[in-house]
Amino acid sequence: MTYEITIDPTGDTIEVEAGQTLLDAALRAGIYLPHACGHGLCGSCKVTVLEGEVLHGDASPFALMDIEREEGKCLACCATPLSDLTIEADVEEEPDAHNHPVRDFVGVVSKIDTLTPRIKSIFLAIEHDGIDFQAGHYINLLIPGMEDTPRAFSIASPPSERNLIELNVALVDGGKGTTWLHNELKIGDEIRFSGPYGRFFVRESAPEPMIFLAGGSGLSSPKSMILELFEHGETRSITFIYGARNQAELYYRELFEELAAEHPNFTYLPVLSSEPADSGWEGLRGFVHEAAREHFGGKFAGHKAYMCGPPPMIDACITTLIQGRLFERDMYMENFYTQASKDAAPKSPLFKSI
Amino acid sequence: MAKKLNMRKRYELLTRGLGWEPTYQSKEKVFSNESYEGIKITDWSKWEDPFRLTIDAYWKYQAEKDKKLYAVMDSFAQNNAHLNLADATYVNALKLFIQGVTPLEYQAHRGFARLARQFSGEGAQIACQMQSLDELRHTQTQIHTISHYNKHFNGMHDPFHMHDRVWYLSVPKSYFDDAKSAGPFEFITSVSFAFEYLLTNLLFVPFMSGAAFNGDMATVTFGFSAQSDESRHMTLGLELIKFLLEQHEDNIPIVQGWIDKHFWRAYRVLALVSAMQDYMLPESPMSWKEAWEIYFVENAGALFNDLARYGLRMPKYHEQATAEAEHLSHQVWGTLYNYAHAASMHFWLPDEKKMDWLSEKYPNTFDKYYRPRYEMWAQMAKEGKRFQNGGLPQLCQVCQVPMLFTEVSKDDPMQISYRSSEFNGEKFHTCSDGCKDIFDHEPEKYVHAWLPVHQIFQGNCGGAAIPDILNWYHFKPEDGGDYAGSADETRWKAMHGETTGAASSDTESAEEKAAA
Repeated sequence: MTYEITIDPTGDTIEVEAGQTLLDAALRAGIYLPHACGHGLCGSCKVTVLEGEVLHGDASPFALMDIEREEGKCLACCATPLSDLTIEADVEEEPDAHNHPVRDFVGVVSKIDTLTPRIKSIFLAIEHDGIDFQAGHYINLLIPGMEDTPRAFSIASPPSERNLIELNVALVDGGKGTTWLHNELKIGDEIRFSGPYGRFFVRESAPEPMIFLAGGSGLSSPKSMILELFEHGETRSITFIYGARNQAELYYRELFEELAAEHPNFTYLPVLSSEPADSGWEGLRGFVHEAAREHFGGKFAGHKAYMCGPPPMIDACITTLIQGRLFERDMYMENFYTQASKDAAPKSPLFKSI
Repeated sequence: MAKKLNMRKRYELLTRGLGWEPTYQSKEKVFSNESYEGIKITDWSKWEDPFRLTIDAYWKYQAEKDKKLYAVMDSFAQNNAHLNLADATYVNALKLFIQGVTPLEYQAHRGFARLARQFSGEGAQIACQMQSLDELRHTQTQIHTISHYNKHFNGMHDPFHMHDRVWYLSVPKSYFDDAKSAGPFEFITSVSFAFEYLLTNLLFVPFMSGAAFNGDMATVTFGFSAQSDESRHMTLGLELIKFLLEQHEDNIPIVQGWIDKHFWRAYRVLALVSAMQDYMLPESPMSWKEAWEIYFVENAGALFNDLARYGLRMPKYHEQATAEAEHLSHQVWGTLYNYAHAASMHFWLPDEKKMDWLSEKYPNTFDKYYRPRYEMWAQMAKEGKRFQNGGLPQLCQVCQVPMLFTEVSKDDPMQISYRSSEFNGEKFHTCSDGCKDIFDHEPEKYVHAWLPVHQIFQGNCGGAAIPDILNWYHFKPEDGGDYAGSADETRWKAMHGETTGAASSDTESAEEKAAA
């Protein structure tokens, strides 16, 4: 049995299974709720149930008082739903987040490009009104025969192209889904997907100059975001540092070089980590975080940073940014909560979403 | 209808504006302690209130917590639930708690009250004000919880007096005195981060799960009641560190120095807890070493991986503390056994069952180094030559623990570790590199340490003979010594309808003591 939770004040809706805690459901949906002990003793995760009913589970009588129970409070780490719920939680309203309802779609493959030896670009045409999404959102693709585990792909095209979305698919060694997409999918095929999902988006109302740091197939979201910003006549300074292993793996270089030529407030810095020394490559060499440190002289305070790419790259970039005095409140990245991240090494509570 | 504000905005409206801009005096004069430590705060508004609690709501919550706790304590007393303890030896853990820990709660109450006055940021003021009240509540509820045991067992009659005078209690007392006599930022780094965040589980889990394993439901309930506050304190510790590190890069080396110092200071205080955990509990939930692995090595390891992004590293000498986990409790317990005649609680030799448990938990060290020692002392006691140390131990100038720690990290665990420093032509002794570093950084401070052994020799502790000193401590003759043959043991057996051949001279019944 699945229930729906609406979270005030953001209005996000998430699904929760009977027996699943509200906290678990929220974290898995990528919504951070304050929490600490995780088993009903500390009261950090207190939320108010505005509509609907919950079971309090193991909430300690010292962490959740009788008076609070009467006022409709519950501990999200212990409470499980008995009905659809509306809860009020201590989450920040994001004035720049667009809420688009998740819908089911059928896309028709209209074009397949080979971007690099391991990345293909797949264009899906969508009939009627198309899809409303925000740059940075992703969709869940239902691959025939593997519908139980939808594959998440960020949309690489800007939201202005509502009837034709682009997905960049990197071939994962031994990955059934990406292998099928690379080898079996043909132009004219129909494929089902749902979306949009995600909480990775540009803080358009923030006045600070922007830094985009991306690597590998993490180019999709920054590409959608940057294209959209310039479609709207962006005037803030934007720096985009993109890392690949070598020239063969570097894609959409011309697109960004043209954009940089057109817009003096846009800087594009491709950086290669294992390009042969004698290849004639005159651009930057090394990793994304090294190129960023070099370019900004190790000082990042006063910026907003957006990151997308393989976990080790993100990790190195976060450290570099913090050392350069840019902190969690000014950095953004896509967080996918998976079963694997739940079983990962113990995470300290120092950061909310890093 | 106007849009409803979110919780953060509502809290901001309820609490902001409390930070008045003074006009009669300069801000620097009003908050005169805020800058001398070298900490740079550029923007107090970046302080994020970890718990959005108003004082109004705070009173309501705490009142209900107290109501629940006192209901459990009443029923515990009415049902004479102390009779359900696993064994009366367990009560010695409570004696250590009331003498060693409860007065620290009171010290913390005073320290946070000062911070609530001295920080100019109103978010930090309110957090410190609430924590100050929490600590006072903990002091009171601990006294009330344990007062039931004071009716039936010895040694718990004057903990605050003892805390200020007794040799083994100068260990926790001097740690808090050190923090309280430092500036406000050092105090809060010490107490909220090094103690409450890094090490609080190592203090609370042994006592509270020890209570649960040994039938002490009143103390367990106190534990739940305190834990709901403790998580707020831990969050404060973490928020503070993050705030200091993000405010200015010049703060990083200062904070690192404080973390190094107070980690080591707090760790040395926990040496007493390690002995309690491994030896005093009739039923042991986990060993000191296991607790250290989980609560320090794993949890703090994960935290410092994240703090490393700010340029902080693990506290200095943490490897040494981890290496010592194999030895710590045995060395401390052995020393306490040596001085049982000068304590207000009982110590004893572990029995076969306990030694087997210790062998299992400490396969690398217990049988090799410590079992033979206990077996020898047991043999001596059997021959009427109970081993005790008649002299007074040399104390470390910083942690004030007798010189009992050994060169574990130099792979020489049977060699006592001694360090010394010269200052103003005098020599000062410390127990470890950790304590020596602390002394050398601020020798002017530590030369003033009130060392119980020195004070006895200087004639400041009631006299020259041990009975005079114990009298000055407010110890009664029946409070210390071995558990076997003690008044506590006699009473415990009487409560269970057993008689002992070796009834002590103190034969007052529990009822008589309660009436006294």
